Amino acid sequence: MIGYRMRGNPDTAIGGPSGQFPSTRLSLLDAVATGVPDEALERVIALYWKPVYRFIRLKFHKDNEDAKDLTQGFFTSALQRDFFVRFDPAIASFRTYLRMAVERFARSQYAAATRQKRGGDVEFEPLEEQAATSESPEQVFEREWQRQLFALAVDELRAHCEGYGKQLQLRIFEAYDLADGERPSYAELAVRHGISETAVTNHLAWARRTLRGLVTERLRGTTSGPRELHEEMRRVWI
Amino acid sequence: MDLSDSVLDHLRHVAALPDLSGTRYELESEIGRGGMGVVYAARDRELDRRVALKLLDMALAGEAKLIARLEHPAIVPIYETGALPDGRAFYAMKLVSGAGLDGYVAGLPSLAKRLGVIRRVGEALAFAHARGAIHRDLKPQNVMVGDFGEVYVMDWGVEAVAGTPGFRAPEARLDQRSDIYALGALLAFVLPETAPPALRAIAAQAMNPDPDARYPDAPALLADIERSQEGLAVEAWSEPWWHRLRRFGARNAEKAFQIPGYCGVPRSNRQPLSEG
Repeated sequence: MIGYRMRGNPDTAIGGPSGQFPSTRLSLLDAVATGVPDEALERVIALYWKPVYRFIRLKFHKDNEDAKDLTQGFFTSALQRDFFVRFDPAIASFRTYLRMAVERFARSQYAAATRQKRGGDVEFEPLEEQAATSESPEQVFEREWQRQLFALAVDELRAHCEGYGKQLQLRIFEAYDLADGERPSYAELAVRHGISETAVTNHLAWARRTLRGLVTERLRGTTSGPRELHEEMRRVWI
Repeated sequence: MDLSDSVLDHLRHVAALPDLSGTRYELESEIGRGGMGVVYAARDRELDRRVALKLLDMALAGEAKLIARLEHPAIVPIYETGALPDGRAFYAMKLVSGAGLDGYVAGLPSLAKRLGVIRRVGEALAFAHARGAIHRDLKPQNVMVGDFGEVYVMDWGVEAVAGTPGFRAPEARLDQRSDIYALGALLAFVLPETAPPALRAIAAQAMNPDPDARYPDAPALLADIERSQEGLAVEAWSEPWWHRLRRFGARNAEKAFQIPGYCGVPRSNRQPLSEG
């Protein structure tokens, strides 16, 4: 098994506090083939820990702790080098391949638990009913994948801005694009920061362009090559 | 950090917007999207006119240049191709004001007008095919009928486009004959319920699942439509004898009117062979 260190606190900061990617921008399969499988694994964990956790909770009706244990189990035992070698991009995207592997893993865990307890009081049982959401577990998995993809890219954008003296661009981006309620107008932001409205829109355009690049790079690192990258990007952008 | 659904959707949207800094264009609004990319309305600051701006993956930029070289009255003219700072390719084209073919047909134009649109589309296809380009995604939404009756075929395909169900030929590898299939589907789409069976037969032949059984090219299909309009027999249909007689009568009503005269029938009893 590939060795790695699971990051993040045991509850909400799943997947690591920053999910920092190595600087290389090799595709997933290239990273595995060129002898840096740990790095490929890090990328996968950073992006998929939370979607897998949420998928397991919904698909199999597991509570927080059980879902975390299963997620941890998947990433520590199922995700070995063979996992990447067996991946055939001609059959499915890596995201679909991974989700199906999670399902197989969870069901095998259930079967093992059933054997161990002779069919007795087994907690883990796939349920047909869904959680109180209009979305299927598969849809939630995709949604969480997108959420994590952007969350990691925003973290990286912050780090980039801090490191390169782009605090003003970051503040404008946070005030406008990360606003959860009503957004301030460009004019308000211009007054607030003592710059012109054009400068506000230019800073926003820079931040968005940078964010787009960061998202693209993360996708490149977790897909098999240009074709899959293109298809995944079409799913990401609205 | 955890992003709410609304922030996530906002980011997915704004991060996809084209960064037009360094270009002569100013973004106005999104006007459409398809398998090949997103189209925006934009203003060309230098020429002070509105254009349609289509964004593509850079990998598709080469084929966009091929499309840009297709100069034909029924193909939307491309003004410029270029690259954005974020690495995406774009091309600027004429912003056509009008309706898609689906909207045009909803206005219940005459059969002749509908067939006129198909003729223009077919001519554009023939032109492109002769230059090695194929459309790959011909469908009503990709045919614009302008305010002055002009017809434009839009969204010329690139390799990534897989076609649209109902208009896409069944073969896995699309070629010029796949465009003939789509042209047949387009013909079937515009035909009203009262259309002559010969026209439906033409559409059916163009849409034959076997590419070799379709019309060999767009001009052959258009020629059959023209024959149908002129009351001549069409390649696609083996019509029953009574239908042939009626068609003959319709084409030769005057002659038919004269035949009884040669046979000594009184003029007052003469009737044309067809109701016309």
